[in-house]
Amino acid sequence: MLPGVEALERAMGYLPGTAPEPVTELIQEVSEELVILDGVKAEYRIFSNIRLWPEDKTVEIEGVIFHVKPIIYSQITDTEEVALFICTAGPLVGEMSRRSMKEGDLLRGYVYDVIGSEVVECAADNMQDELKRAAGTRGMHITNRFSPGYCGWDVAEQHKLFSFFKDNFCDITLTPSALMNPVKSVSGLTGIGRNVRYTSYQCHKCDDNNCIYRNRKTKA
Amino acid sequence: MTELLERISICVEFGKVDLKSPYPPALKDQQGAFELTRIALDSGVSPGVILEEALIPAMSRVGEKFSRNEIFVPQMLMAAKAMNSSMIHLRPFYLSGETRRKGTFIVGTVTGDLHDIGKNLVAMMIEGAGWEVIDLGVDVSTEKFIETADKYPGAVIGLSALLTTTMENMRKTVASLREIRHSMKILVGGAPVTPEFCVKIGADHYSPDPQGAVEFLKSIAQ
Ligand code: B1M
Repeated sequence: MLPGVEALERAMGYLPGTAPEPVTELIQEVSEELVILDGVKAEYRIFSNIRLWPEDKTVEIEGVIFHVKPIIYSQITDTEEVALFICTAGPLVGEMSRRSMKEGDLLRGYVYDVIGSEVVECAADNMQDELKRAAGTRGMHITNRFSPGYCGWDVAEQHKLFSFFKDNFCDITLTPSALMNPVKSVSGLTGIGRNVRYTSYQCHKCDDNNCIYRNRKTKA
Repeated sequence: MTELLERISICVEFGKVDLKSPYPPALKDQQGAFELTRIALDSGVSPGVILEEALIPAMSRVGEKFSRNEIFVPQMLMAAKAMNSSMIHLRPFYLSGETRRKGTFIVGTVTGDLHDIGKNLVAMMIEGAGWEVIDLGVDVSTEKFIETADKYPGAVIGLSALLTTTMENMRKTVASLREIRHSMKILVGGAPVTPEFCVKIGADHYSPDPQGAVEFLKSIAQ
């Protein structure tokens, strides 16, 4: 479940193999310490009672309307079912990160933090793989996963998303300001259908020029 | 003397904390910011000069390189650690009032928001620019900002938010702070915050990164 050194270097902004020595050493040390990371969870629920509203670019799931906005809507127009998901890396990495920072070991704290972010992304990737496999057995495909707070979809719509899950599902709670606790958690939806497809990420369609994914170096 | 200050500056810029730190390889087995600062003080260099001519220029170079994506968060944290090792020797002079800071900066992540890495980086760089930093942490209520601002008249306030929902809380905090002290300088930042939003909520400045925050403080301290 733990991401490799190269993935972590990338997540910090470096090209693989270019992070300074103390950083790669710490990544290795912290990764060894976290080999068994309890609390990583990823769950989804599939809904077939859905409707798509092209005029408003909304998706209705069991009567609840999600305003996913044009960029995401355009990727799920042929969807027949929707999977809603939540994933978490659990509370431990966050706690370790805060403790190290408090003790003045800023770099170690940051390494825990980035590992937490990557672990939850890996958990979500594994969940997508499982969803893809399950959809495949029914002759269906899946779309990318999309999260409230990205591509214009209001982050506050997480409240609607969470209403489909039992309280403390996956041990995640949502604050009134739509912040998931533990912090290293993600939520969202994936489209499922015979005619949907997975596409490479389309950063050019998004207007967030500050996004660190966009700023990451892709070539030397 | 200039050579000693230059060495301190290089140690801070490249994260060479002390004799024991193996990084950067070129400075292995050499004294770091910790020892060199002590030597400078013992040989009569004033704490103010060490700050102005060694630490501030080093942290400024770090901030500039970060803004240009030439270095990333880990190198910034390594530099901050080296700077802190220098500050261990300088802090007593601030506490005794012998050396003065450029001003006070009160910073926190707004209520409802738990993100702290970005805010911590801003706090470190501002401390490295010679300011006293009062870091209130995360999920900071408007009342806490007001109470602290009362304790430090003339302080600049820095608010960080990482979610669009908590940006709304940023707006409320700015409005309340403005009510009690209209002339207070307020700086805002965080991934979803924009210059337009800053203008809309009546804050004084938006910065996308720590260096921009330092530049803003510099501009108002003059
Ligand atoms: C006072 O003056 C100042 C001046 C400058 C100031 C300042 C104050 N404060 C900060 N700065 C500035 O200086 C710092 C250094 O340069 C910077 O600080 P940052 O804190 O921004 O930078 C850090 C050093 C490094 N940056 C980071 O660590 C955040 C990076 C990005 C890519 C990001 C990550 C990694 C993650 N995320 Co997410 N995440 C994003 C981020 C996109 C981005 N553009 O940054 C952001 C913050 N996330 C977002 C979202 C939506 C979400 N995330 C989520 C989850 C995650 C991960 C778990 C995968 C992971 C970790 C999150 C974490 N907080 O630990 C979810 C929420 C999690 C939760 N707990 O509720 C979720 C809600 C998605 C979902 N539905 O699952 C967006 C928020 C905007 C919004 N719409 O509300 C987002 C901006 C991405 C986007 N859409 O572009 C500047 O902003």
